[in-house]
Amino acid sequence: MLKLYQEEFANKNMQFILLDSEGVVIESDQKLFDIPVDSSILKLHPFFESLPALFDSAEEVFDFFCIHLALKENTFTTDIKLLKKRDEFLLIITDLTEHYDSYQSVTQSRNESVIKTELTVLKNLELQERERFKNRFIQNFSHELRNPLTSIMAIIDILGDTKMTTEQTKMLDFLKESNSNLRLMLEDTLSIGMIDAGKLEIQHKLFNLRKFFELMQFTYSAKTKKKGLKFVSFWDDRIPEFIEGDRLRLFQIVANLLDNAIKYSENGTVSFKIGLNQKRANTANLRFEVIDTGIGIPEESQEAIFESFHREQPTQKGKGTGLGLTIVKRLLKLMNSKIQLNSEQNKGSVFYFDMSFKYPLPSESKWSEHGNKKRANIGRKARKKYKVLLVEDDEYVQLTLFKILLNTDSFQIDLAYDGALVLQEVVNGDYDIILMDVDLPNLTGIQITQLIRDFPFKNIKNIPIIGITANAYQENLDKCMAAGMNDVVIKPYEKEKLLNTILKNLR
Amino acid sequence: MHSSKKIVVLGHFGVGKTSLIRRFVTDTFSDNYKVTIGVHITKKLVEIAVDREVSLILWDLEGTDEIESIRDSYLLGTHGLVFVFDVSRPSTFEHLGNDLKIVRNKVPETPLMVVGNKSDLVDKAELKTVLDENELSADFLTSAKTGEFVNELFLKLATLLVGDA
Repeated sequence: MLKLYQEEFANKNMQFILLDSEGVVIESDQKLFDIPVDSSILKLHPFFESLPALFDSAEEVFDFFCIHLALKENTFTTDIKLLKKRDEFLLIITDLTEHYDSYQSVTQSRNESVIKTELTVLKNLELQERERFKNRFIQNFSHELRNPLTSIMAIIDILGDTKMTTEQTKMLDFLKESNSNLRLMLEDTLSIGMIDAGKLEIQHKLFNLRKFFELMQFTYSAKTKKKGLKFVSFWDDRIPEFIEGDRLRLFQIVANLLDNAIKYSENGTVSFKIGLNQKRANTANLRFEVIDTGIGIPEESQEAIFESFHREQPTQKGKGTGLGLTIVKRLLKLMNSKIQLNSEQNKGSVFYFDMSFKYPLPSESKWSEHGNKKRANIGRKARKKYKVLLVEDDEYVQLTLFKILLNTDSFQIDLAYDGALVLQEVVNGDYDIILMDVDLPNLTGIQITQLIRDFPFKNIKNIPIIGITANAYQENLDKCMAAGMNDVVIKPYEKEKLLNTILKNLR
Repeated sequence: MHSSKKIVVLGHFGVGKTSLIRRFVTDTFSDNYKVTIGVHITKKLVEIAVDREVSLILWDLEGTDEIESIRDSYLLGTHGLVFVFDVSRPSTFEHLGNDLKIVRNKVPETPLMVVGNKSDLVDKAELKTVLDENELSADFLTSAKTGEFVNELFLKLATLLVGDA
């Protein structure tokens, strides 16, 4: 009985074919497919065309696995064994289609997954490389812009101190405003690059928020007036005067919102408000609001306006990089806040955000203010002429720094533009301070600073060094400080800021 | 004059071996990737000169990232080899030198063409950089998708094999 069952199930998927040395069929059990006796198997499928090459081989058994045989009536995936039997050859074909089909689906998923992963990794690498390129470009671009911008700012300051006609004063104001816009655009462009590169660090330094508010009030009263708009401002008197935060970034956020409000309002009012949400222990939560009566933003565009280079009305002759609101959104995210928008088309918009700040005890803030006053007084006293060594290779920057320092009548300046010369000058010069361009060719300002700090003589190694750099990236500033600089001023700088930094560090 | 030559096409998985053969044999292309299991064998009659034809028996081997695992029986009686890599996927060519060494050890003195496929996915300048950076030397840079250099590849190999006959 068992033999009967065996006959029923065994060898069902196997075909035995006996061939002569020419590949002609002598006998076949036709289990899988029909092949007539006396026909050539070579013509059945291209696989068999390779057999004659094996007939003369010294080997007696050949195994071929997973051979796909597409025949006229059927398709099989088979294992094929060829055995030499005296002058004849036995071909055993085993149909394993089901087995190999299941293997196929497993391999398909595995291969697809491996390829997909590899392509994703490659795509990411490519994106990262593009990102690095973009950031390098932005860094270099803003770096190159800073020098001429510094010179323009310095010349504007110097011109402002000269006698001018009313018309000239107006033109100078216009120049100053244009330059200030250009500077904000530069900061915005650089900030995007820094945020993308993860290099923008939010500062937590004490500053006078009330004065910040007054500065915005003063600046934007003038700007709105020029466009025939009304400017309204509000300050809640319960807000602490001094807070800990990043003044520059806060300025960037508020200035972008106010510039935007003015840009898109043809008449009506632009308002700036700082209100108090709550005050607990030494933390205050404040609301900053910029309200306009401008064109408003349709609901469907309210998300898109925070994307880079978006303009609500492309045809409008708006100034700016199109990065303003992107900067606002991304800076606020870094500062653990979020921009909010309520807007109605043709009625206006309200942009606002809430932010928490630590604030010090009243005595601390008084001390800080007192400190600032003290520094300013030192400048005014000018009891002697301080000896300054200016290390700078750009002749325009040299010229503007000379003008700024000489106009105070408090400084005597020597100039060096080469690393070797600096060390010689330092040894012989008895300087009160060194103004060091960080980005010098050959020997950099950082390297020169390290050499000076390594001097064995105290009077030389302790000379205060102020770095001046166009590279505003935090890691560059950290390197300057780590090399031994006392302070770093970023181009483009304002005259007052430069002088205050010098006076603060004079020995 | 008519002869028959066995050509084995091998390389890592997903490099486009099946697509190259399909383009050559049926002049078609499909974007759908279907893994080849084991071996698929097709045949094409090629005229390499007036009155001179050769049947190319093309063995399309299952792709593998371990070239040494290719079964020796597949290579028995092989007249020519085509080793294919994918120019857009470094993993398929980063050990090319070693892969070719393994193949040459298995079938010494068998003519072999090295082919960088999917050239349509990489722009020409980038392709040159890829080849230079990896010190790759390919006999043909093909695209099964566009058909670029596919016929040229097989015709050159066929001519070479018949010349060797």
